[in-house]
Amino acid sequence: MTTSGKKKADIILIAALLLAALLFLLFQLFSRQSGAVVKVSVGGEVVKELSLSRNQRYEIGGVNGGFNTLVIENGQAWIEDADCPDALCVHMGKISFEGQSIVCLPHQVVVTVEGSSSESSLDAVAK
Amino acid sequence: MKRFLTVLFIVISLVPSVFAQGRTETVFTQEIFAMDTYMSVKCYGKEAEEAAMAAVREIQRLDSLLSTGKETSEVSRVNSSGSAVLTGDMKELMELSLMAYEKTSGAFDATIFPLMELWGFSSKEFRVPGKEEIEETLKKTGSDKLSYDSESGKLVLGESQRLDFGGIAKGYTSMKLKEVFSSFDIDGAIVSLGGNVQTYGAKPDGSPWRCGIQDPFSSSGQSVIAAIEADNLAVITSGSYERFFTGEDGKTYHHIIDPSTGYPAESDLVSVTIVSKNGAEADALSTACFVMGKEKAVKLWQDSGREYEMILITKDGTLHITGGLKDSFQTNSKFEIIY
Repeated sequence: MTTSGKKKADIILIAALLLAALLFLLFQLFSRQSGAVVKVSVGGEVVKELSLSRNQRYEIGGVNGGFNTLVIENGQAWIEDADCPDALCVHMGKISFEGQSIVCLPHQVVVTVEGSSSESSLDAVAK
Repeated sequence: MKRFLTVLFIVISLVPSVFAQGRTETVFTQEIFAMDTYMSVKCYGKEAEEAAMAAVREIQRLDSLLSTGKETSEVSRVNSSGSAVLTGDMKELMELSLMAYEKTSGAFDATIFPLMELWGFSSKEFRVPGKEEIEETLKKTGSDKLSYDSESGKLVLGESQRLDFGGIAKGYTSMKLKEVFSSFDIDGAIVSLGGNVQTYGAKPDGSPWRCGIQDPFSSSGQSVIAAIEADNLAVITSGSYERFFTGEDGKTYHHIIDPSTGYPAESDLVSVTIVSKNGAEADALSTACFVMGKEKAVKLWQDSGREYEMILITKDGTLHITGGLKDSFQTNSKFEIIY
């Protein structure tokens, strides 16, 4: 191999490394942005995971045969309707940040936003 | 070519470590409905699953011991017989409760249950009781009417008295969970027992645990008014927004009953957060300080040697934050530091 051949190999290697690093970075950034997931659990068991970035509706079957209608729209999730006695879950508003949750005690339904972690996100909320 | 191979080798050997960094370590989350609320336990580390499962068992154990709703619980048995020799958790809870009663001059009282029942907060069939009914019920409440001997654990309740550790049980449980976690090989854990937060150990990324404080003025309850960094601490909030009902007279009645009047506490506060290493104390104090109001709460904090921290939120929306938290909190609201 000539000296210039060696140089060429080095350049190719460096370029390949830079490309790999760039791809890795892009992958990380991409997966972070689209990573926000709405997790639905009933009685402590996860029953469904839905993407927060896709507009959709999901009928949650709670314990005691009740229902809670979950709506995801424009990066926000909320309970639109439910047949629980107090309907507190319907009044709990819209959630979109990691760690936020909606709880329906009578149906043991919990809807949580997960995986959109950023530095400003919270690990828990005291209430 | 040799150099190329060397570099390639180094790169290849680095790849796994880069990916390992990107991936989080073992996390295990458990959710459970107990003590009339929703709880979550999240553990990080090698034995995350074992630790979280053990935590859930501990929560269930304490729930069946302390529930006033279950006839077979230890608390129900003490209440129906009127006297008992307390051991273990019951003894510890009794002593913590009496200590909190003394410390807060009765603003925390583990015998307040008949009043909670009268207002319908235990059955959720709310009603505004008459003045006479309240006075009649007040005769049954007050930890000064029971007798307890800490040596033998012998408890004798006053006439028609009922014990309820509900105001301290979740904080006590979070304290016990720390003991459970310490027997497993985990790096860190965070639990929320119906909004009572306890952190343990370290977060996988090395940053401090961040805990939000619910905005008491938000109608949906989904916004936070402040955030604090809290490592190995219990963060417990009591607020009038948590449970309330509107009476036939159009007035709002919340669930924090003042043991001295029998009515919902009317202080200048809307929310009290206690940050402490001692979860049981934090639980009792958050309720008691709400009843006491800002001035007395601050005095108690100063008199007790500033051994815990507080965030008091007054009706005008101002946050009053104790000195120890001044470098670890964030808020967009108006605030003052108390020393």
